[in-house]
Amino acid sequence: MQELAVSASGLVKRFGERRAVDGVGIAVPKGLIYGVLGPNGAGKTTTLRMLLGIIEPDEGERTLLGSRHPRDMSDHVGYLPEERGLYPNMKCREAIAFMGALRGLPWATGRKRAGELLEGAGLGHAADDKIRKLSKGMAQLVQLLGSVVHEPELLVLDEPFSGLDPVNQERLELLIRGQRDRGATILFSTHVMAHAERLCERISVIAGGRVRFEGTVDDARALLPLRARYTPHHDADAIAAMLPADAVREGGSWRFTVPDGGIEALLVRLIDAGHGISGLSIERPGLHDAFVRIVGAEALADQPETIA
Amino acid sequence: MMPRFLRQALTIARRDLTATVMTPTFLLFLLSPLLMIGFGVIGGLSGQAASSAGEARQQIVAIAPPGQHDALRTADRELRSVFTRDSARPGLRLEKPEAEPARQARTLFDSDTIEAAAVLYGPLDHPTVLRSAGAEAEGRYLAALAVQTLRAEHAPGTRSTPRFETVIRDAPTVSGRGQAAYFSTFAIFLVTLMLSGQAVGAMAEERSNKVIEILAAAVPLESVFFGKLLGAFGSALLFVAFWGTLIANLPRLLPGDAAGVLSSLSVAVGPIFPLLLIGYFVMAYLLQSAVFLGVGALASTQREIQMLSLPITIFQFAMFGMASYAAGNPESWVAIAAEIVPFSSPMAMAARAANAPDLWPHALAFAWHALWVAITLTIAARLFRRGVLKSGSPKRTKRAAA
Repeated sequence: MQELAVSASGLVKRFGERRAVDGVGIAVPKGLIYGVLGPNGAGKTTTLRMLLGIIEPDEGERTLLGSRHPRDMSDHVGYLPEERGLYPNMKCREAIAFMGALRGLPWATGRKRAGELLEGAGLGHAADDKIRKLSKGMAQLVQLLGSVVHEPELLVLDEPFSGLDPVNQERLELLIRGQRDRGATILFSTHVMAHAERLCERISVIAGGRVRFEGTVDDARALLPLRARYTPHHDADAIAAMLPADAVREGGSWRFTVPDGGIEALLVRLIDAGHGISGLSIERPGLHDAFVRIVGAEALADQPETIA
Repeated sequence: MMPRFLRQALTIARRDLTATVMTPTFLLFLLSPLLMIGFGVIGGLSGQAASSAGEARQQIVAIAPPGQHDALRTADRELRSVFTRDSARPGLRLEKPEAEPARQARTLFDSDTIEAAAVLYGPLDHPTVLRSAGAEAEGRYLAALAVQTLRAEHAPGTRSTPRFETVIRDAPTVSGRGQAAYFSTFAIFLVTLMLSGQAVGAMAEERSNKVIEILAAAVPLESVFFGKLLGAFGSALLFVAFWGTLIANLPRLLPGDAAGVLSSLSVAVGPIFPLLLIGYFVMAYLLQSAVFLGVGALASTQREIQMLSLPITIFQFAMFGMASYAAGNPESWVAIAAEIVPFSSPMAMAARAANAPDLWPHALAFAWHALWVAITLTIAARLFRRGVLKSGSPKRTKRAAA
């Protein structure tokens, strides 16, 4: 079995009468990029905060980097909270060094690395600027650099992509991959599927305080049948009768679910009927659709779906 | 119909009023005068006590054979009817003459137990009256007392010719100590009043710029609180160092006799006193700031912080009231209480240093204060963790698994 960076079982957190987190379990193998996905208010942040020991769970157990007391390991963890915050009057370099110093990194080393990190992130010119002068996205990158400056074994990022423009999102993805390549484990939460789809090696989908799915991105996508997009050579209304019931016409093309028995028989019938094929693509539905399906299913069934 | 402008203003006013009134802090704000009345009584008493500390303890002494004591007492009673409450002279104390009454009288001025304003000895028709500087009236009163006693015993026309002598003291007076004690208490109070209130907003700042989550994730909250406390203390220390240096050099700039008055404030523990004073300032600051830091951390808005400043000032005045009463009445139960209650203790102990020579209670006090700084910070961190970070469970099942 692979060594786990983070594991937890049966985590429960009540805020008053509401169970914000209701029995969440997680197992994050070392060296992976792991995504915690879920809609707004699903309990992602609360789960991460419990895993980090910022708050104590009401029930359940968790282990962080091999310790049952997550706070003991805080020097080996980097964390980007959902609510970003930096001292507005601090200079970028100092802010990064300060965050490193909180995690036990000597100030001098922190300042030196801060310079390098800022340079690497394309923010070298702002090293001696005060945080208040930065745009929101830049400040967020600075904070992210602050959470990796001490080269943590585990990097926890809460909604790291929110508020970033596409260029900075790209930079952030690079940075996350860079950290993984360095040997760190990355655990991040998001409700934007595109990032999870590109980055994550494994995901958990949390909704309503519970885990609805755990597995790889491909596992998740496999929950939905293949979709086909067919463009006939000679379009005609009669085609609709030959395609599966869910077929929808989009311009000159038709979109439909690939039948259980495969698409070959259908294609033969279409060619025989003289419609011809000028375009055909068969694809897995995206994580987006899988996510909607998983989270939407929550309303119907209360049991988590698991594919291991 | 209501003018548009007024309606808009009222909408804002309504939100502001509810935002202010519907908070627990407002209740504290509302009730703080109650606290003030309660503690203010002590404070008022203590102010009075401290200013009259010297006079109340002063006595006038007549050294006379026991046979004359009754006559002296009767005469004293009759003469006292002359005085109003404000102009009353110190009470009369009667002593039996020893072998050398002159020497006996002189030593009374250096006594630790009583503080003599004036002493009369020798035969009543030719008495000698010793009086301390500034106690002319007391001296004349003793002389008048001698005449009155003689006339009551003998004939109405009897004369007495007193001899007056002014005495310079060797040892510091008890009331001089009382003043030094009050002065130390006041100095510590004043400095903590000016400085420790700053701690109230420290955590609110972290919350408003949202750095608290980073801090809370990286280091234990206790460290965050203690760090905040030390940080605030550092700036307070700079403040004290700056003004301390200025004031310490003040005597050189003042005319000679003013400097003399400053040095006449004498203390019981001797030259270690300035060190103790600094130590107690540190402790007073740390203790009170720790409370304010904790209370301020629970306030969620700037508005609440502002409202907290009144109860906080009253709390400080209350502690000062107790301590200054203790300075004026070193043996009273209030004094003992003020020395034990952690938040008034530094001020009361500084007063004690001026009043009593023992050193060991100070060592004990420092340990006691440090313990309470730790206790206060721990409680503050716990409350913060539960109230603000929303940790801790509603039931007591916490750490069942750990």
